[in-house]
Amino acid sequence: MLGLGLGTILLAGIAAMVQSGSQNLPGRPLARGGSMLFRVLLGVGCTIGALPALRVLLGGATTDLQFGALSPTGPWVFGLDALSAVFLLLIFAVGVASGCYGFTYFASHAVHGETDSAQRSIEAEPSGVAGAHALVALLVVSLALLVVARAVIPFLIAWELMAMTSYFLIVFDADKPEVRRAGLLYLVTTHAGTLLLFALFAAWGRGAADLSFASLAAVTLHPRMGDAVVLSLALGAFGLKAGLVPLHFWLPEAHAAAPSHVSALMSGVVIKMGIYGLLRVIALLGIVPAWWSWLVLGLGVISGVLGVVWALAQHDIKRLLAFHSVENIGIILVGVGIGGLGLAYHHPRIAMLGFAGALLHTFNHGLFKSLLFLGAGSVIHATGARDIERLGGLSRRMPRTAAAFLLGSVAIVGLPPLNGFVSEWMVYRGLLHIGLVTDISRIASLAGVALALIGGLALACFAKVVGILYLGSPRDPVALSAHESAPGMTWPLLGLAGACASIGLLPVFVLPPILRAATVVVGAAASDPSVTSTVAADVDGSAAMAITALALGVTVAMLIGWAVHRIMVGRGPSKTKAVCLRETWACGYSTPTARMQYTASSFAAPILAHFQPVTGIRTHQTTRVFETFAGDPVLDGFVRPLWRAWRDIANRARPMQRARLSTYVLYLVAALLTLLLYLLVDGWTT
Amino acid sequence: MFANLARLAPPSSIIAIAVLLCFAPVMPGIAIKTKSVLAGRKGAPILQLYYDLWKLVRKGTVYSTTTTWVFQAGPVIVLASVVAALFFLPLDGRSAPAHFEGDLVAFAGLLALGRFALVLAGLDTGSSFEGMGASREVTVATFAEPALFLCLLALVLATGELTLSGMLGVPLANAWPRSAASLTLVGLSLFIILLAENSRVPVDDPATHLELTMLHEVIVLDHSGPDLALILYGSALKLTLFGALVVCLFAPRPSLTPAAAIASLLAGLVLVAVIIGIVESVMARLRLTRIPQLLVGAAALATLGIILLLR
Repeated sequence: MLGLGLGTILLAGIAAMVQSGSQNLPGRPLARGGSMLFRVLLGVGCTIGALPALRVLLGGATTDLQFGALSPTGPWVFGLDALSAVFLLLIFAVGVASGCYGFTYFASHAVHGETDSAQRSIEAEPSGVAGAHALVALLVVSLALLVVARAVIPFLIAWELMAMTSYFLIVFDADKPEVRRAGLLYLVTTHAGTLLLFALFAAWGRGAADLSFASLAAVTLHPRMGDAVVLSLALGAFGLKAGLVPLHFWLPEAHAAAPSHVSALMSGVVIKMGIYGLLRVIALLGIVPAWWSWLVLGLGVISGVLGVVWALAQHDIKRLLAFHSVENIGIILVGVGIGGLGLAYHHPRIAMLGFAGALLHTFNHGLFKSLLFLGAGSVIHATGARDIERLGGLSRRMPRTAAAFLLGSVAIVGLPPLNGFVSEWMVYRGLLHIGLVTDISRIASLAGVALALIGGLALACFAKVVGILYLGSPRDPVALSAHESAPGMTWPLLGLAGACASIGLLPVFVLPPILRAATVVVGAAASDPSVTSTVAADVDGSAAMAITALALGVTVAMLIGWAVHRIMVGRGPSKTKAVCLRETWACGYSTPTARMQYTASSFAAPILAHFQPVTGIRTHQTTRVFETFAGDPVLDGFVRPLWRAWRDIANRARPMQRARLSTYVLYLVAALLTLLLYLLVDGWTT
Repeated sequence: MFANLARLAPPSSIIAIAVLLCFAPVMPGIAIKTKSVLAGRKGAPILQLYYDLWKLVRKGTVYSTTTTWVFQAGPVIVLASVVAALFFLPLDGRSAPAHFEGDLVAFAGLLALGRFALVLAGLDTGSSFEGMGASREVTVATFAEPALFLCLLALVLATGELTLSGMLGVPLANAWPRSAASLTLVGLSLFIILLAENSRVPVDDPATHLELTMLHEVIVLDHSGPDLALILYGSALKLTLFGALVVCLFAPRPSLTPAAAIASLLAGLVLVAVIIGIVESVMARLRLTRIPQLLVGAAALATLGIILLLR
């Protein structure tokens, strides 16, 4: 079933390629038919693929697929459990939204003739665009294969496929130097991660019968050191993909450089593969040492707070959203840390709450972050500007995009009654429960302070984004010429907004499948009676039901309030009162201009002033200008110097490569002699 | 499906909410009266806000041409979220109409929702004054939020309960003899948060009319008529909500009859309003850059309370 879905998605990719061929021909209708075909195939493929995932989440079971003798490392196994199913659903949901959005995003570039770089590359090379669509389809397929792989080799193949398709999508606008730079940084970073994965599986699989995950789980590692090595390597490799601080330095660059629907897919789904990897390793190991859980919790707190502070200092909409991904990965890691502490100190109920909160937040963040990136893409598409200081008043010109973006903002800030609140509430519950235990792990409940601070800062940041971007009046002529985007771009936005709203309003249907997925991570400890009672309480007891009632109650209260407001203001059925329209009150000043509005820099300045020393944020203040800049201390202070030092070493080593045959023969002889010496010494010692 | 929730809500807790909804506009009145009496003036009547609200509701509305539906939705969401938050406090001393594990997160979340709506409504006008007010409001809130979490965490640790309704009843009454010191610290911290969240001196001066020095008043500069009435009533209700939280903390009343518990809650609220008036009379507003320090101080008090509890 899943295979059928993936096949259809691949067909969609092929259809996109075929369509590019038809676009060169004069017949336009054929091209339109091709775009329809791409959308239908992508939609059908994602739906078919999502069906088995839904069945597993609702309690069904599937059998593993085995392909023997494809490589000397044992059979290639593919399987689908509840943990994979959660990620699979996310991949297909975001995949179909981004794919459909991307089609209109590129197509209307070509039609409207925007002065944007994407436009230029389209004119130069129409097959490049079709290639991008095919790559998006391939990326979705590779992500789906990644989460169902149950053996090392297919896992690594899918991982590399994902990394490489992402790379080619990031460098879509390759004629811009900053895009090429971001692509290179991404390429080097992701391969550093892959290298760590090789090391991880090499260390883990040494004593295993073959390289399937089941055999890895059966390996008895060295009591202390084995776990430590495996978990450290996993944290490095998967943390690099997830973008936790201090391994986040590539993320804002890459996500800002990619076309917007690719950023949506990357921020929403690709970085979540790091979270998937960590959870899968925990599930396979079955135990987590306490130190590792404390480390993850600490990294989560640091990523969360620093991510949102950097975002607050950013005024480039895409970099800002990318830093928010760092923040949300932090929140997810706090959940993972709490779950790990629950396992390490034998509080299975807390482990369930932590992992379930992390999983649900992963899913929710995938939905609202892709919504926000697509919304940002629509703004960039309509105005050509990424700097929010130049925009303003867009909610009048693009009402549907603005409404969807506002909903996504409420969701990402974690406010009731939307989905971000539900997942943060789960993590908070884990934190509060851990405060009530009797051992040292109760200190972890103080991490909630960071979560509260992150909540406050995220509220400030999204008030800034929505307020400056969509509200007020246009600050620059580019914002005046904005227009609502084509239905092909607004529908994916509204669809994702609907998904966020329905999870937020009806969590009672979402929590049981998520708890089932968390059971996979918690493993054997999940059969503990205290855990089964938690699951029971969340499925049919008070908590899930009550939070649903809260969400619905708040929504109803707001709707009633709105109706009463209409009547009070005099816009109800009986229009009795005067409603007059005037200019904004400027305290007596009669000719206010759009340039007198508050700017994003000024809005964020009072908060940033308190965080400046640790975060590398600088302000530039003259009599005419006030601006804040966010530097990245990790990239500027560590990665770039390291890169330069490495290049210096490589330059010094250059004389070795003289291009003279005799020198190379000498190298060969030296290498052979060394190997012989090694064999000699090896034989001697044994 | 939600029948079990409705069954759990005793009528007295609903009546208590209705009483507070009617009582709320008295709170600012008492604070202003206290201030006037201490300054040797006669002052406005205690019921002044009722007159103001009635006047505003009957008036027409002026909307700025810059604003959108966000501006009009703001006051509604502010009021709806505060009313919803009231449902989580055990106002009759026994239990709240709504309670579930971790509802304190929902309590804080609802207040944040109201703030988000208010700030966006301010930014919708495109005025630099309101932008300034919005910026200050989120700055204060950013530092108030962790302090509020610490206070609630301290209550969780002191009582072992994970719902506001559960912890503020019998468990809190039992916890007071055991951990009076830390609960007092938490109460003080909560009072500072009350002052900050409700824009009272020393964080903001509700009496000032200089736009540049105001926090809360400046965001609502463009609201008029019924919209302004909703905002003013919502602010009074939020003050009452925080006041009720402080009263519930210092005086858990599980053994009183519901009527006596509600009466004592009102007496406690009057006392809180008088204390606010006294604070406003004896000290000046802090400089804007000092406000985060005050809130970090409140957080430190709550942390001290937690350390005493963890001992």
